[in-house]
Amino acid sequence: MTSQTTDNAVIEVTNLTKRYRDTLAVDEVSFTIERDTIYGLLGRNGAGKTTIMSILTAQNFATSGQVRVFGEDPYENAHVLGRMCFVRESQKYPDDATPRHALRMASLFFPHWDQQLADRLIGDFQLPMKKTIKKLSRGQLSAVGVIIGLASRAEVTFFDEPYLGLDAVARQIFYDRLLQDYAEHPRTIILSSHLIDEVANLLERVIVIDRGRILMDESTDAVRDRAVNIVGDSAAVDAFVDGREVIHRESLGRVSSVTVLGALTAAERASLADAGLDVAPVSLQQLIVRTTQHAASDNDEGALR
Amino acid sequence: MVEEGRPLFVQIAESVEDSIVDGSLAEEAQAPSTNELAAFYRINPATAAKGIAMLTDKGVLYKRRGIGMFVSTGARDLLLTERRTAFADRYLDPLLAEARMLGLSPDDLIRLLAERAAATTPPEGASS
Amino acid sequence: MNRTLNVIRMQLVNRQTYLWVPVIVLAGSLVITLAIYGIISSAGVQTAMYGGGAQAPLWYFAVVGAQALSFTFPFSQAMSVTRREFFFGTMLTAMMTSALLAIVFVIGGLLEEATGGWWMNGYFFYLPWIWDAGPAAAGVFFFALALLFFIVGFWGATIFKRWGTAVLVSTILAIALVLVGLLWLVGRMNAWAAVFEWIGAQGALGLSLWGLLLVAVLAGTSLLTLRRTVP
Repeated sequence: MTSQTTDNAVIEVTNLTKRYRDTLAVDEVSFTIERDTIYGLLGRNGAGKTTIMSILTAQNFATSGQVRVFGEDPYENAHVLGRMCFVRESQKYPDDATPRHALRMASLFFPHWDQQLADRLIGDFQLPMKKTIKKLSRGQLSAVGVIIGLASRAEVTFFDEPYLGLDAVARQIFYDRLLQDYAEHPRTIILSSHLIDEVANLLERVIVIDRGRILMDESTDAVRDRAVNIVGDSAAVDAFVDGREVIHRESLGRVSSVTVLGALTAAERASLADAGLDVAPVSLQQLIVRTTQHAASDNDEGALR
Repeated sequence: MVEEGRPLFVQIAESVEDSIVDGSLAEEAQAPSTNELAAFYRINPATAAKGIAMLTDKGVLYKRRGIGMFVSTGARDLLLTERRTAFADRYLDPLLAEARMLGLSPDDLIRLLAERAAATTPPEGASS
Repeated sequence: MNRTLNVIRMQLVNRQTYLWVPVIVLAGSLVITLAIYGIISSAGVQTAMYGGGAQAPLWYFAVVGAQALSFTFPFSQAMSVTRREFFFGTMLTAMMTSALLAIVFVIGGLLEEATGGWWMNGYFFYLPWIWDAGPAAAGVFFFALALLFFIVGFWGATIFKRWGTAVLVSTILAIALVLVGLLWLVGRMNAWAAVFEWIGAQGALGLSLWGLLLVAVLAGTSLLTLRRTVP
């Protein structure tokens, strides 16, 4: 893992562990979040993403370990919490609340709230302001959370898959508005998603979590370079990948497609071309999925990580 | 528009270089800003900034304080030279490899090249 | 402090809970009681009539207290409000609404005094022993009672939110057992007369103060429970 300077850090997590009665939801996790950066917190459902974000915002509690936000413990710390915003997928709102109420409340509690931005987003998502939130469709409910998250302009904003209810068009609107506003008002944003390829281009850094542990914590560019797909005659492919770490293998007849870790030099690419093998890129989602699967199978076989 | 396989910031830098090479972005003209690039390609501004930084390091762009990034004089020549050098690696090697697989000799290739070149004459006034 | 006050506004978003349903409960209860009084009165009864209808909105305050937690706590966490701010803001809301209810009851009682029990000697708000020490004391009494019901509802909801049904039910049973035990003890010591005498001596004002003490205890317990509750 790459090390980062701590004077730029807004969040520092050290050996965070969360244990429920019989499960270890978060297992000795340590990482740093730097200011004014968009992070992707990626992983499968149940990997621990929501638990971690809840603990960072003091909505849930660690079993052990330390969390520092802006250098302080966030628990019951109004000074720190007021600078954060946590948007959940399934947020409960007061029973009689309309989007108008929810957004007005948000404007009272988030010091950097921008009403103009909120109004613009209300138009973008076509959100009916006077209908009780209880009666909104799933997409509209997600839109409320997304609008609160964006318009809060909180210094640290967590989006926990709040766009799950949004259709593809609405999601694209969200990504576009997020980037636009981030460009004009840089802040720290942590997006969790399992739609990795959709958000890949937004992310400056990725943190991949699997079964409560961190598998990756690096810049997106570094991860993109991490692996290649070698496709072609199985024998030739196997000869080439001998000695490299293979994280995925598919075969159809005599043709194999193997995902292998490690960047290729120009010379290697040339020799691959000579051997009649194709080099295909690995999308971020493929890479993360395959690395996760690979780590899981390592685990099952009891192999050392 | 954005492909896998090469780092995003490299692709961003290359697309700016493309517009310099084909003339649509003139020397001493203002280059697109980081935010403009980020919005256009729908990518993180930090990535766009990395691409711009790469071009600045190369000498293709320079910064005018308080105004923005501008295309350096001589940038086009610089890029043409660079691309001509890379031309053989980028285009000829794959060409030769494919030809070999198809059983075409270098002489066959030369003949094909001459035929095709004659058939597609470049438009008047194109750069040499 | 500002954030705490804004929690009041957050609570009051729930118009139904804080306004409409209490009004409906009060109005409905009053109307039904007066209708019954009317029937009895027209049958020729002359003695003063008292009913328990005024309890209805008070019992409802327990529901208000429970809803104050269950409807609003998760949202308050999303608004980055601390549990302490939420608690005190909600308590302020409770005191405001209890005070409002107390005022309504006092005005009602004064009205009944003035009209001689709605012109039929029937009383809804005005119960003699509560009004013994005057309207101000009666007001304090209603305030304390409403607040007590609120905090009981809030307290129960907090326990439920933190630990679930089993713990809540067990706690209630345990308290009930203790109370039953106390009652048995009083009976054992043949102390009923003394107990009633003491209660009578406290009067409305005295009982109010004891009630407020109980409110403080329940409030403190709720806050402690809330401090580790997950929304």
